[in-house]
Amino acid sequence: MDIQEYIESGILEEYALGVLGEVERAEVERIAREHPVVDQELKEIVSGLDAYAEAHAVTPPAALRERVLAAWEQSIRPGQAPANPAAPAETPVVALPRMVASSAPEPAAAATAASEAVVRQMPVPGSGRRWMIAASVALLVLSGLGNYLLYNRLKETEANLQVAQTEQSRYAATQKAALNERDQQLAVLRNEAFQPVDLKGTPKAPEALARVYYNARTKAVYVDVRNLPALPEGKQYQLWALDNGKPVDAGMLADATASGDSIQQMKNIASAQAFAMTVEDIGGVESPTMSTLTVIGNI
Amino acid sequence: MLPVSASTPESVALETEIQLVQRLRDRDEGAMTIFYDKYSAALYGVILRIVKKEETAEDVLQEAMVKIWHSFPSYDASKGRLFTWVMNVSRNLAIDKIRSRQYRVSSRTQPIEESAALRQAAEPSFRPEHIGLQEMTRQLNPDQRQIVDLLYFGGFTQSEVAEELNLPLGTVKTRARAAIKVLSKLIR
Repeated sequence: MDIQEYIESGILEEYALGVLGEVERAEVERIAREHPVVDQELKEIVSGLDAYAEAHAVTPPAALRERVLAAWEQSIRPGQAPANPAAPAETPVVALPRMVASSAPEPAAAATAASEAVVRQMPVPGSGRRWMIAASVALLVLSGLGNYLLYNRLKETEANLQVAQTEQSRYAATQKAALNERDQQLAVLRNEAFQPVDLKGTPKAPEALARVYYNARTKAVYVDVRNLPALPEGKQYQLWALDNGKPVDAGMLADATASGDSIQQMKNIASAQAFAMTVEDIGGVESPTMSTLTVIGNI
Repeated sequence: MLPVSASTPESVALETEIQLVQRLRDRDEGAMTIFYDKYSAALYGVILRIVKKEETAEDVLQEAMVKIWHSFPSYDASKGRLFTWVMNVSRNLAIDKIRSRQYRVSSRTQPIEESAALRQAAEPSFRPEHIGLQEMTRQLNPDQRQIVDLLYFGGFTQSEVAEELNLPLGTVKTRARAAIKVLSKLIR
């Protein structure tokens, strides 16, 4: 055997790297015992690789020390968890199941015990079992039916809730708009610049009463109805401003205004000495029908 | 086969290693703490170099500790240093880990990329504490370093390295031998 050729074959490196099988390893060891040159060569290779490994040393994080040592301790003391010797992996703290699996022959007995512990027969008499199955099926059906009913009721409740929520938000929106409007009206009524003008009923409608608020500076006109006779079908009250005896259209009264539910801003009027209302066709006319004059008042 | 040297620190180290081996053989559990303090940095460094992820390295180090304890009766001090033996146990566990299908799936690393990564120099974040590494890598040429890394950290056989690098097997063997020679000369 050519020793030099053997040394250069690369088998010693493979031995040191741990990639050889059992038989090859034993062969290398035998030859190394017989040939000091091979033994020396092998030692050098091993120590070279060891040095290379050592050169890569990295101190692990300090916290790792305790974890690793605790896990190791758990793995070697499977019986430490009382009354549960068959399941070392289930012992508390850090023990990892696969570590137990990888730890060669020692826990084999424990593993056998574990598999024995799992096989457990439940003695169930045949007839009792049939009854249990029937009862189970009945319970399942009942449970399904119950679920169906509850589900339907849930859907119904959800629908009702949605309706109620929609209603509520619509009401809130309406109320908010109404409130805004009232605030505006209140601002008009409180404003000193608005001059109130009482319009009193003509002999044709002596109970009729309305009030106009006129702002001579901004030319704004508001009307507030106290009481006006009900209108015939297709008719509407029209407000007129009288400027030097000449009637000027000041706009039509909305239904809510005529019924006194709300005050209404009318057309701006440049100048007026009196206001009056007549009953006209819906949409209004260019000049008032004097026979339907209902209320009138001077500034 | 234990290296016999006259220098004092080495003989002290040797003595403590012999004591440690004896305590481990006696199944002295306290010895594992000493073992950890003595070897964890070297083992962790190599494991981390192989698996590249710190949490995996921790898992592998735990597995290695358990395996070392349980397989200790199979350690034959006449065949080599304790360091060599525990390093090989740990290295093999780490290499098994990166070769396991689960690990490949979880790390989304293809075998080719894996070996490509191994060809790169050690990441600076590894911060090897031993001054030896820089010195060693200076002495090894890039071709040699690549081959040693594939063999040692990649768990490749020389034939696999030849295939991977598309080199004749003879060339790989020559370079590997030369590289390891350089390493062993450095420590003398």
